[in-house]
This record gives sequence, C-alpha cells and structure tokens, in this order.
Amino acid sequence: MTEALLEVRNLSKHYPVLKRGILLQRKAAEIRAVDDVSFSIQPGETLGLVGESGCGKTTTARAILNLVTPSAGSVRFAGQDIVPVFRGSDRRAQLAIRRSLQYVFQDPYLSLNPRWTIGETLREPLRVHLADQQSAWQARIDTLLEMVGLEPHHAWRYPHEFSGGQRQRVGVARALAVEPRLLILDEPVSSLDISVRAQILNLLVELQDRLGLTYLYISHDLSSVRFISTHVAVMYLGKLVEIAPVDTLFATPGHHYTRALLSAIPVPDPGAASTRIALQGEVPSAMNRPPGCPFHPRCAAALPVCSREEPPLTAFGPGHRLACHNPA
Amino acid sequence: MAEPLLSVEDLKVHFFTRDGVVRAVDGVDFAVNRGETLGIVGESGSGKTVSSLALLRLVPPPARTVGGRVVFEGTDLLTLPTKALGTIRGRRIAMVFQNPATSLNPIYSIGSQLGEILLWHEPITRAEAEARVISLLTLVGITDPAARLRQYPHELSGGMKQRVGIARALLCNPSLVLADEPTTALDVTIQAQILDLLADLRRRLGMAMVLVTHDMGVVARMADRITVMYAGRVCETADAATIFRAPQHPYTRALLDSMPRIDHRYTGGARQVLPTIPGRPPNLLDPPAGCRFHPRCPDAIADCRRILPLETEIAPGHTVSCIRRGSQGIAA
Amino acid sequence: MHGTLPPKPPGIWRQGWYRFRRNRGGMLGLILVALVVLVALTCFVAAPYDPNDQSAMLRGASRQGPSALHWLGTDRMGYDVLSRVLYGAPTALAVGLGAMAIASVIGVIIGGIAGYVGGLVDECLMRFAEFFMVIPVFIVILAVVRLFGIMVVGTWMERVPHLNLMTIIALLGLFGWPPVARMARAEFLRLKHAEFVEAAICIGTTRRDILARHILPNALPSLIVLVALGIGGAILAETMVSFLGFGDPKAISWGQLLYFNYESLKVAPWGSVAPGVAIFVTVLGFNLLADGLTDAFNPRLRQ
Repeated sequence: MTEALLEVRNLSKHYPVLKRGILLQRKAAEIRAVDDVSFSIQPGETLGLVGESGCGKTTTARAILNLVTPSAGSVRFAGQDIVPVFRGSDRRAQLAIRRSLQYVFQDPYLSLNPRWTIGETLREPLRVHLADQQSAWQARIDTLLEMVGLEPHHAWRYPHEFSGGQRQRVGVARALAVEPRLLILDEPVSSLDISVRAQILNLLVELQDRLGLTYLYISHDLSSVRFISTHVAVMYLGKLVEIAPVDTLFATPGHHYTRALLSAIPVPDPGAASTRIALQGEVPSAMNRPPGCPFHPRCAAALPVCSREEPPLTAFGPGHRLACHNPA
Repeated sequence: MAEPLLSVEDLKVHFFTRDGVVRAVDGVDFAVNRGETLGIVGESGSGKTVSSLALLRLVPPPARTVGGRVVFEGTDLLTLPTKALGTIRGRRIAMVFQNPATSLNPIYSIGSQLGEILLWHEPITRAEAEARVISLLTLVGITDPAARLRQYPHELSGGMKQRVGIARALLCNPSLVLADEPTTALDVTIQAQILDLLADLRRRLGMAMVLVTHDMGVVARMADRITVMYAGRVCETADAATIFRAPQHPYTRALLDSMPRIDHRYTGGARQVLPTIPGRPPNLLDPPAGCRFHPRCPDAIADCRRILPLETEIAPGHTVSCIRRGSQGIAA
Repeated sequence: MHGTLPPKPPGIWRQGWYRFRRNRGGMLGLILVALVVLVALTCFVAAPYDPNDQSAMLRGASRQGPSALHWLGTDRMGYDVLSRVLYGAPTALAVGLGAMAIASVIGVIIGGIAGYVGGLVDECLMRFAEFFMVIPVFIVILAVVRLFGIMVVGTWMERVPHLNLMTIIALLGLFGWPPVARMARAEFLRLKHAEFVEAAICIGTTRRDILARHILPNALPSLIVLVALGIGGAILAETMVSFLGFGDPKAISWGQLLYFNYESLKVAPWGSVAPGVAIFVTVLGFNLLADGLTDAFNPRLRQ
C-alpha cells in the first residue's frame, strides 16, 4: 500500500462558549465542533465527507488548512505533520504546504474579491508562489482559464458579470494555479443549478484524471458524493461515524445514522420502494452533545451501553470502519 | 372531467427593470385538481416561484402580472377586488414558505401569531381559537403544543418552525396549499420528516397542493402530476410516472439525465461522465426567439428558432411544448 | 473564438458611478458640492470686493439692500455680503475636509485594528471609542478654544495664521472619529471572515497584502459614505461654534457672519439670509451626496 497523501489523526477543534463580562470574557462551555477525527486519503482518490449542517465537516477542512487552529491531533501531508509548521514562523515551509494544498469554496459569489477582475484574482497565487517568473504569468492564466472551460478574454471581467457556474470555474482555476496535489472542495456545487451542477462535477472529474489530483469532497448532497467519490466518510455531531469505499457504503451502510441519511434522500423515481427509516427528533446542538454515542437518542437500535460508552471507530469490513455498538 | 380547483391560463409576469422588461413568466398554463399535488419544477430563473406568487397577486415590484387568468373555484383571482381576495388569501389558499426562520414574526409568540390569523378570518372567541391552534400543532406533530404556544420562534429548531409554518397554513382549512421550496432550508433527515408530514396531512385533510421546488427527488416523492418550467414557460406537464419514465420534452430528459443518482454505481471501469446540458439558461431580458430552450437543445432544428411551441396534449393528461414532439406552435 | 475581444467591462467604481448618475438626489448633491468647491477655488478673483473692505460704512451705506453695486447688499458693518459669503466657502470646506481627514485616519486605524485583531484589543478600543462618543463635544470645543486663545497670548503661536480655526478643525476631527471607527470595525470584521479573504490565506498571501489589497478597498465605499455625511456635520458644527462667537475672528465663516448680523435681522435680513442659504446648500449637498453614494455602493439595492 502506498503512503497516504493526507492523513488526519485524532483531529479535534473545540470552541469555548464565552460569556461576556464587562471587559473580559469567561469560558462557560465548550463546543466540540470536530472531535477526534481520523482518516486518510491515498493519492488519486476522492474522499467524500458527508453530514448534515453543523456536523463539523467544514470545520474539519478548515482545520486541515489551518484556517482555524486545530485544538489537538495531527495532519500529515505527504508524510509531514503540517500543524507545527503553521504554528511556527517558517514562511517558506508554510508556502510550500499552501502550494500543494488548495481549497475551493462553497459559494462562488463570496469567494472572489468583487473588486478584482478574474485575471487579478488568478494572478494572486502566482504573485505569491511564482514571484520570480512574472513573464510566465499571462500564459499560465490563459492555460488555467482554458483548463476550466473559460476563454482568455474572461480574464478582463469582474465576478459579478459571471453566472454561478462560471464563477465556480474561476474558483477552481484559482485553486489550480499553483499546481496543488490535494484539493479540498467544500460543497462546490450546492449553490448551483442542476444543469450547471453536472457541468462542474464533470469538470472536477476530468481535471482529476488529467492532473492526477487528490480530492477531499465535502458535501451534504449524497448523490454528487456518490458520483465523484471513491471513499465516503460520514460525520455526525463532530464525530466520524463511518468510513468506507463508496459502493460499500451505499450498498451496505453499517451505521444506523448512515442508513437513515441514505434513506432520507428523495430518489427521483416516483415508484422507488419506500423503505425509509424515519428518524425521530432533530440533531442536538453540539453544545450539549449526548453522552455515549452521540446518535443514540435518535437511534432505533440503541442499546443501554450506547448512552454510556462512546463507540470507537473499528474495522467492519475491507476498508470499512464504523463507530457503533450495535451495527446493522 | 370535473372542473379543476385552480386553473392558470396564459399567466404573464414581467419585471420592469431599468435595463428593460424581464419576461420572467411568459404565458404559463397549469391546473390543479381537487385533492391533487402538482409539483412545479425548474431551475432558478425558470419562473416557478414568481408564478406561484402571482396566483395570490403577491408579486413584488418591479414585477407586475401583465396578463392571464387564475381561476380558483370559479372566480378569477387576478380581477377580484382586493377585499374579496383577502377572504381567499390565507383562507382558501394558504402558503408555506421556504425559510421557516424568516416567515414567522420573531416578536410574537407562536400562540399569538397563529391565534391572530384565526380571529381575523373567523368569528370565534379567543378560547376557541386557542383550542384550534393547539389541535393543529398536535396535527403537525409538535409535542406538548400547549407549552409551545407561549414560545417564540427563536426558541424552536428549524424543523419545528417549519411545522409551525405548516400549521399556520392549515388554520382555516384551505382547499389549496402553495408550498414554495418548503424543505430546501432544512437538513436531509428533517426534510424527510417534513415531506412525510405534508404527504400525510394532504391525505387526511384532502386538500390540494402546489409544490414548487428545484429538487426532482422531492417531486418524485410528493407529486401526482408535475409541471416542468424553463425560462418562464412550461415545457411539459404529465403525471409523475410519465415525467420520470417517459419524458418527452428534451429539457426534461436532459435535466433528469444530468442528475447524479445515489442509486447508481459510478465506480468500476472507466470514469463516468454525467450527461450535461450545454450552455446556461437564457437572459430573460432578451430571450431566444422561438423555443426558449433551442440554443441548448440537442434535438433543435431550424424551425425551433422561429416557432414558439405551445402546450399541446400528446397523450391523455400529458402536454408538451416542443414542435419536435408534435406540439403546435406560432411563428415568431 | 471571435476575432475581437469584448471591451473591458466597467469595474466596481465605474458601476457605482453608473448607478449614482441615475440617482437624482445624489446628482443634485454632487452639483451643489461641486458649486461650493468651485466658489471656494475662485472666490479670490470672483468676489467683487475685498472681504475686509468696510468702506461702505464710511459712505454711510451699511445695511443697504441689494443693488447693482452690492448684489446682496451690505451688512451692518459695511461689508459686501456677497464677497463675505463667497469667502466663507474655502473656510467651510477646510473645516469639513480637514476635520473628516483627521477623523478618517484615526477612525480607520482604530476601527481597523479593532475589527481585524478582535478579542480583548477590540473590546478596549471600542470602549475607548464609546468614551469619546459620550463626551459633549460642543462644550469641550468652546472651552478649549477659549482657554487656548488665552494661553497663546504673548507666545510665538500667536502669530500662526488661523490658529483658532485650526484648533476647531483639530478638535472636530479628534472627536469625530468614533462613528468612522465603528464602521471600519464592522467592515473589517465582516471582511476578515469573507470567503475571498480566506481564499487569499489559503493561497499564502501575506497579512499586509490581505489588509491593503483585499480588506481596505472593499471597506472603502461604506467609509466614503460616512465621511461625506461627516463633512456636512463638521461644517455645521463649526458654524455653531462661530455663531456663538467662539470662532476664529480672522477667518471668514458663515457662522460668524450670522453671529455678526443676526441682531440686524429685521432691518437688514440679507446679511443673515445669505450665509444661512450658503450653509444650507453646502450641508444639503454633502448629505445628498452621501445618500447617493449609499445607494450606488449598497449591493443589496442593486437589481
């Protein structure tokens, strides 16, 4: 087995809940937005990270990129733990990591500077990483635009003149500007229309094959996850509850939350057999997470032990791990 | 065949902007029978939401309904005096909104904002109103409704708020409910709960529903009949099974094909590619002549550029507006 | 690809200008402000009389109504009203622009740091700003101007031209920054978490570049609106100080003209009405301009 390109080990991000005093604030509680999450991605693979809002999937991505500082755990990229690098002050080492690890944002309306033309936006990564090759910038920008299906003259335009799909193409081009190895895609298609969604998904797949990229694909939309991913990880209330190769997860989900999640997706087929597992209640707030298995209050198969002990993530099948005391 | 509960004929809503007239809804027809759920699907800008707002004359300026008829239980809502419309709006036709967080007034308790509506519409006492609100909150699956009456919207979760929104719509026993993306703002598992609730209520109360959404999965689960809209016009209307199994309009087909499916294997062998619709929806300031879909249509012929297709019944209960499928049309 | 490239499309500023041009109130404001600026630049040649020319009084022609000789008449001390009003424009602009320049620099620095750094620094700086906001500025200005005027007597500072006016400008600036700081803080806070700023962090852009190239340019439109509004406010404040007789006796300001002439309001109303109209036009101009700018730069109102 080859070395994993990205290996996240026991990653946690806890936020203190502050009560405001007159001048100082004091800690009243703690939100465990990401709690002890571990997974790895092999080169060339796509890991789909799924879960409902507030489950910590975006925070995981932001902690990997050090947009938020992880509270604990390690993030190894190509064998190197990058958390201490970002803590330190070695700008060169930081830039080397930034260069190979890029992020594509959910909302292409917000992730582009409205005052910059597309060309200026694409020039920024080049200025930071390829400052000494200024003469090659223009050619690179043209290549990037072509790569994501735009035309060279689009470089003169401003974001507000583009449709959502085109903006997302620009977001992808910016991330690809410095030839990264891993792309973190945070809900890249959820704000787009159905017909445009397919175009962007195809583009992502095509670029992955062409450039040998590795993806971490974050989404709540399981159908796009099924399309693009090779592996899927499911999060619930800051915990990773199940991880498996994509077809295994969709065919034989082991965790009761995964099963409920899959069955809740409306299938575009009016005759589809309705074997839905109706979930009772709603996701509790991450501030008062239930003890034991975080899912037990909503779980039909909960055992007494579920409310006491937190189930560890254990092997369930080939490449299939899940955290459940009473798997299906 | 019985008279439909609601029939919309040649509805036109235009936005009068500084840059010109945006023909957001441009000659739309559909009908809803008693007790039936009609799903209106389309992408953003297809005019689905504007059409549903126009039914109750709720289109905001700079939009204006410039033509058509909306016949509900025998009366044309577009020509009705405002006062008479008030007795229908919220009473005979109720609305469920997309965003439960903003559709409830944050400064009134649940009990008072629901109670006020009843007292406004019906000659009943406060105690009767409260009893009815409690029974409705129970109906929409809210536990301990008596206690919820005194709570404020911010104290409820998103799913609960949407349940309250549904209870509010049902207060006056409407015969038609307009639901505009009622589950889009909710998480998947909560969405499933709300959809189940809506389906169950519709069965039990026998009301008709217009469900406006962009989610093909949602209409597949909920709708009896489906109307597909594109760029302010109707492409195709048929019963749900036909739309999904034997769609006729090229746009409907392309739309269904372009969606990734969770019940489909994409791994193994060569990487798969989703069929896509090339290009993007037209600018409605200056829509393409003829069929509005023709620039993106794989089946387009020269005539499509010239002839505006009209909705034509090609099989019982199945209307299509595409000249390649035998629709009539008018030359531009 | 087609042979010709499409023309370079308008940027945000130009787009803002397109929207602004369609706003009637804003355009009126711009015209009024332009008029005041024009007068301020040309009054030294355009004014028919020297503003300190009191010769009319010697001829017994003070408090005369408008005539061919004196278009707006003369006031009770024999000055030509038109000339005095015209010479008031540069003073008013100096006060408005000077005070707001000081206020903007302080406000953007303090508000920017508070918003960008956040935490305890933010708390302290904002409490500091609030402290400045609750001080009755007017009384402080009156007291300081009077005290300062007494203190400088007999020192070299006495010979500094318009010292009194400069003191007023400085004080208006020193007390006028909190609103700018609050706006700057809100904008920096919002933009700090904007996705395009996070995208820049992911790319590895330095903090200085993020502040100078991403955050500040995006915060500018809202700040400009506030500053435009502040200019009108500062002019009005100086007018009030001068009207109370605490203004700079050597500078010609509209407030001072009112102070000199309100007593003869009944016999020679032109002496008070003319500077009053000038104040009204200027302040209205800046306020309309600010309104127009708000509309032009507020993306929520875009269609």
